[in-house]
Amino acid sequence: MIQKPLPRFIHFFGAFGAGGLISLMLLTNGTLAQFGSLLFSSWVPHFTGSILAIVILAVLRPVRASRKRPPLWAYLGGVSGGLTVVATSAAMNSALALSGTIALGLAGQILFSLVADARGLFGLPQRMPAWRDFAGLGLIIAGALVLIFWGGAS
Amino acid sequence: MILFIALAVSAGLLVGLSRQLNGRLALSTSAMESSFWNHIVGLTFVSFIALFIGGLFEGAPLAAPWWAYLGGPIGFLFIAAGSWAINRIGAAQTAMLIIAGQMISGVLIDVAMGVAGNTVARVLGVVLILGGMWVTRTAKVKR
Repeated sequence: MIQKPLPRFIHFFGAFGAGGLISLMLLTNGTLAQFGSLLFSSWVPHFTGSILAIVILAVLRPVRASRKRPPLWAYLGGVSGGLTVVATSAAMNSALALSGTIALGLAGQILFSLVADARGLFGLPQRMPAWRDFAGLGLIIAGALVLIFWGGAS
Repeated sequence: MILFIALAVSAGLLVGLSRQLNGRLALSTSAMESSFWNHIVGLTFVSFIALFIGGLFEGAPLAAPWWAYLGGPIGFLFIAAGSWAINRIGAAQTAMLIIAGQMISGVLIDVAMGVAGNTVARVLGVVLILGGMWVTRTAKVKR
């Protein structure tokens, strides 16, 4: 009975902590963009991240979970990530500004993840979100909107 | 205007797509290898865009403080964590927890750096997000 909720808590904390990493990246990459071009602020983290990735893979040599090769399209996550930078920077320079771009981006991200779970997109397990997931989602979106549009100095 | 709204929404869709693809790659390999490929493929892609558009080294990038160059190692951890989580709690819960973490840490960083802001809104926003996390946390797991 005690062991069951524990792994779930670790997953929750891991994903929550990953969100904290985004804030740090906004700080580092945003600072780069103040000195160099926007493209540079995306190219540098890809470059330094690749170097660390090569070192980590060479040292730790993580074992593959399956002998079957993954489909080739599964390697394209980095392209999608690169396109995100382009789309974000284009929208940010419009009347949407940073806050509108972030809010609409969150909406897109939530929408994709719900459809992805419900349909089991791209070979990940299918799972129907429960009503409590939607309630939690609603509260988190509400809190995010309050912070984005009302949290700054104005 | 509709074009820019569509662009902003698709930026979010692309974030979800990227996490789904990296998650699928991690399913056959490992979260660390998935993050490795995400960075190598992403670096190649952004380099091609830079060759095409040009102006990569415009401005005074060398004047930036040294810690501004540390986004990469943080990003490596971030992609690995996302690929790990999505295969365990699903795309929707991963997305909402990452958003919750981003929002709350953003407030903490702003407060620590003395950025001016509306205190009432900050408290209300954080409470709403923590409440949302609590509601999801106590959700029954369907097996």
